[in-house]
Amino acid sequence: MKLALVWVPLSILAAPLPKVDPPAGKRFLVIQPHHDDHTTDYGMGGLIARLTRMGYEGWFIRASNDEKDGAHGYPHNDMINLRESEAASRILGMKGVYSFNWRNDYMDPTPLLELRAQVILLIRKHRPDIVLGHDPWGHYDRNPDHRKVARACADAVWMAGLRNVHPEHFELGLEPWRVPHQFLKARVDYGRGHEANAAVELSEADVQRKMKAYSAHRNVYASPAMAKSVRAQLAAKGLKAPELDGMTDEQAAVRIEEWHMDWVSRQRGQENGVRYAEIYWYINEFAHLPGLESYIQKNAVKR
Amino acid sequence: MRLLILLILTLAAQARTVLVVTADASDFLLAAGGTIASMTARGDTAILLRVTNDEKNSWDLSPDETARRNGLECAEAAKLLGIGKVVSLGYREGELGGVSPTELRDRIMFYIRLHKPDVLFLPNPHAEYVEVLDRHYAGLAAEEASHTAALRNHQPPFAQVGLETHVTRELYYYAQPFDPRRREPESTATFVPQPKVSDIGAMLDRKIRAALALKTINHAVAMRIRDRLESTGRRLPLLDTVNDASVAKLTEINVRTLAGTGAKGTGFQSAEEFHYAGPDFGVPSKFRK
Repeated sequence: MKLALVWVPLSILAAPLPKVDPPAGKRFLVIQPHHDDHTTDYGMGGLIARLTRMGYEGWFIRASNDEKDGAHGYPHNDMINLRESEAASRILGMKGVYSFNWRNDYMDPTPLLELRAQVILLIRKHRPDIVLGHDPWGHYDRNPDHRKVARACADAVWMAGLRNVHPEHFELGLEPWRVPHQFLKARVDYGRGHEANAAVELSEADVQRKMKAYSAHRNVYASPAMAKSVRAQLAAKGLKAPELDGMTDEQAAVRIEEWHMDWVSRQRGQENGVRYAEIYWYINEFAHLPGLESYIQKNAVKR
Repeated sequence: MRLLILLILTLAAQARTVLVVTADASDFLLAAGGTIASMTARGDTAILLRVTNDEKNSWDLSPDETARRNGLECAEAAKLLGIGKVVSLGYREGELGGVSPTELRDRIMFYIRLHKPDVLFLPNPHAEYVEVLDRHYAGLAAEEASHTAALRNHQPPFAQVGLETHVTRELYYYAQPFDPRRREPESTATFVPQPKVSDIGAMLDRKIRAALALKTINHAVAMRIRDRLESTGRRLPLLDTVNDASVAKLTEINVRTLAGTGAKGTGFQSAEEFHYAGPDFGVPSKFRK
């Protein structure tokens, strides 16, 4: 039985989202399970590029060891993917990558409280103004690592601010720190639970860096076989892509991936009234107090 | 006189047992306190089942002292809502994600079979963007418990000690208004609890008084707001001095705003929002008459 995939433009379904400018701040953490989660097409390389352009310092936490992603066998995949993740993070202007090395795609049985403790420790070390990650309320996410890390992160962002949570950390001179802002990845193609509530505008330079960072994951993307297949399919119809003329299959594969990243950034921009954009579920600093948020926003003044 | 006795007897006959499951000391109160107070005011008997010990929710107290004070203050708040009994299961706050869901479910089921409630309040585990995930886990366990309490083959030893099966006729799923889609009807009215709004206008003052009893938690909320604003060069004039009066004012604003949010679009002044499964729940509409 064949399945028919029908793509419905988001612009038909929804009005433009409110545009959110990243708040002023100093540091951000991206907390996700896999080497490429911060650069994939549905987020979030553009926002990361924008934040580092604003002067933010950023770190990427890779919770799993990515041993199953790629064709080189477990230990090789782990190391290749880590190196490529570091390269992608550098392209986006980030400071570095922490790897927790939990077993890839086996994170359902990973103890939630242990994983959360690791995240809390690094939140207290870096005191990020923003955390980026998967949406813990997303439906239909078949990846156990996405689900587990998102849950751990959802707890950690506020529990890191409580003095009675892991008091041993204070022996190191660390202090409680509640993360005020979150941008959660909105995989609109996954349906309910992945809707966005905010669009972040990107510059052309942000999109360029996003494209390069995505292509840095050569172990899993930009496969020469894919380019070869695209060329063969075009040739079968008597067509060709002139821009790919003279390129090797490897070079052409990178270019095709870049087209896709450019297209998706334009698409999100078009849906939201700007040239380039990414979309997120954004949680602001007082959203956890639904009875007080509006009062604080209305009455808080500069010191 | 005869009429009065008849009235009292009628009311007594209708008095229900209400079991309220809450993950922590504040959630049930902020999300459902007015509705619970309305029920106790009409003569219903209410019991609170508090799952965690609230050991982490203070500004600068030790876990032991935090748990002790929050326990006492939760009991006081419950009393002000007319809840006659508070049972604490004693799990450590923030750690329900590491607790066996079946163990938690069966402990809640024990109390359902013990008290045989007519009405069960439970944290809505399907409400999205709830920050405190203990509420999600406690809600999942309570929802399952409401189901398994009615099934003889769940925990056969319970029957051996006299805890017979029980069907709870009304379920109120509660949550503070984090979920932007909380008012949307769910897919099928037969098998999915539907949105319901409860007028709490007559109980709002009582709910506020109960919320004020949670002094340790309210103080922590005020201090965290002040700390966040200070760290970003801002201040809230109300919290220039954090004392009993300013914390009380903040708490009142919180409860009144939540009540206003619940009432939005309903014609009520103050309300609470639920997902509700009544006696007809699970019965296809064509058979209900």
